[in-house]
Amino acid sequence: MVELKNVNVHYSSGVDALQDINLRINDGEFVFIVGGSGAGKSTLVKLLMREITPTTGRVFVNGKNLAKLKGNQVAKFRRSIGMVFQDFRLIQELNVYENVAFVLRIADQSSRFIKQRVPYVLNLVDLAHKARSKPRELSGGEQQRVAIARALANDPGLIIADEPTGNIDPRLSYEIVELLRDINRSAGTTIIMVTHEHDLVKHFGGRIINIDSGSITFDDIIGGQDEDE
Amino acid sequence: MRTSNATYLVKKGISSVWKNFLMSFASFSILMVSLLLVSCALLLMMNVNTIMGNIEDTNEITVYLEENVTDEQVEHIKSVLEKNDDLTDVQYVSKEQALEDFRNDMAEYSELLDYLEENPMPEAFLVRVKDLTKIRAVDKALNQIDGVEKTKAPYDFASVLTHIRNTFSLIGGAVLLALIVVSIVIVSNTIRTSVFARRNEINIMRYVGATSGFIKTPFFVEGMFIGVLAGAAAWGLTWLVYDSVFSLFSADLTLWQMFGFYGLTPFEDIMWLVLAVNCAAGALLGAVGTVISTGKYIKV
Ligand SMILES: Nc1ncnc2c1ncn2[C@@H]1O[C@H](COP(=O)(O)OP(=O)(O)O)[C@@H](O)[C@H]1O
Ligand SMILES: [Mg+2]
Repeated sequence: MVELKNVNVHYSSGVDALQDINLRINDGEFVFIVGGSGAGKSTLVKLLMREITPTTGRVFVNGKNLAKLKGNQVAKFRRSIGMVFQDFRLIQELNVYENVAFVLRIADQSSRFIKQRVPYVLNLVDLAHKARSKPRELSGGEQQRVAIARALANDPGLIIADEPTGNIDPRLSYEIVELLRDINRSAGTTIIMVTHEHDLVKHFGGRIINIDSGSITFDDIIGGQDEDE
Repeated sequence: MRTSNATYLVKKGISSVWKNFLMSFASFSILMVSLLLVSCALLLMMNVNTIMGNIEDTNEITVYLEENVTDEQVEHIKSVLEKNDDLTDVQYVSKEQALEDFRNDMAEYSELLDYLEENPMPEAFLVRVKDLTKIRAVDKALNQIDGVEKTKAPYDFASVLTHIRNTFSLIGGAVLLALIVVSIVIVSNTIRTSVFARRNEINIMRYVGATSGFIKTPFFVEGMFIGVLAGAAAWGLTWLVYDSVFSLFSADLTLWQMFGFYGLTPFEDIMWLVLAVNCAAGALLGAVGTVISTGKYIKV
């Protein structure tokens, strides 16, 4: 469960990126966070991954007050969530397999577990056949699927995706969201997806949170257009 | 951490040494020169100390008494010497004993001594000075004692050696300190370059939950590996330098023996110690350089 209570984020540059945010996302939800450029969406993501702490207010993930985490607890917390970014953030020198295996090593898993887990998650994103490729040999959509496989590696209860479709072919964007929805449905993983692509949101529907100039202006469930599913 | 994952980090660190070859080589070279000087300095000190020790072992002053001293005077002088805190080991040598010793030392000429009508050797005390650096003052004081004819002390060579040792320690220490500082700066620059080259990867590692220890370990491996390599290379060079100096000195040993100098310690006796010290010092310098740059540029 994710919960923000009276959260304000004030950057030292003078910007109030978030103002008085109160928000609760339950386990197993799939939530779109939408809003224009500079609205404060990424700031919210940074709060949730404990890259920053709020100026005032509190952020809880799975009951833990993130501001209270010390030293290696921050690292351990980050292993319990999966992050997906607009720019993929894959390590260029490592192949697809190694990019995924890497986070399992960070979580100090055995080589035996790594050897079975990596092919498993690569299979989930349908990239098992590209295991030996380097990221630059893949399309944007494929790279993002590698990033999703990496996010899945540690079997997180929560995946946060900040504009995951921002750098890829619009046609392929639907596949990415589809993939995230499948993960949400099959494993019950909570998914928070930030986007500014209204078409995408209208197409899939679900819970939509709109942020405008640092404040939540809309938080409700809308119907999607993919009823035929 | 599991061994398999620790091994992974070590491999990563070592591969970084080759990827970053030019900088690594610069670090390696400066570390090697520093360590070479460190070990040469240490070996020199060690040998000077051995020589000083040899002299200190024979830091005897012979106190010759006047020809016509009475037994009471001898007793008195003995008690004065025994009360002197700077001295240990006060030993009386009678005229007969002195002659006997002389005979033994100069066995080939012992018949010559048979021609002597009376014993020419003076009575004497053999005393040892506790602190070699004070030998000159002590010697002077002994000359002031009533009934003492003269003394014989090895202080000229000793004081020269003491002087050399002190000057050397001072200059050597300053040069070493400068070299160590330069080495650390260069190592930390090398590691900084490496951190910079991998900044993207470091950021990603942070996002996926790597601890700072996990992120920093390969950099420590890198720095310390360069240090150990430099230590081993410096050791090889030290061996060469030492052996050539060794043969130089061994060739004309008799001359040196006059000064209480009984040859250099052979390198074979201390080679493993020197290797261990070199590698440990290299690893330490590498680690310090890494601490500086990772502390500055890696924050989780
Ligand atoms: N590190 C930062 N320092 C100062 N200002 C920032 C920083 N990050 C974001 N901002 C500002 O905060 C506001 C919200 O940014 P962000 O959360 O990135 O918006 P979004 O992701 O919705 O486009 C913007 O005005 C942005 O310029
Ligand atoms: Mg953003």
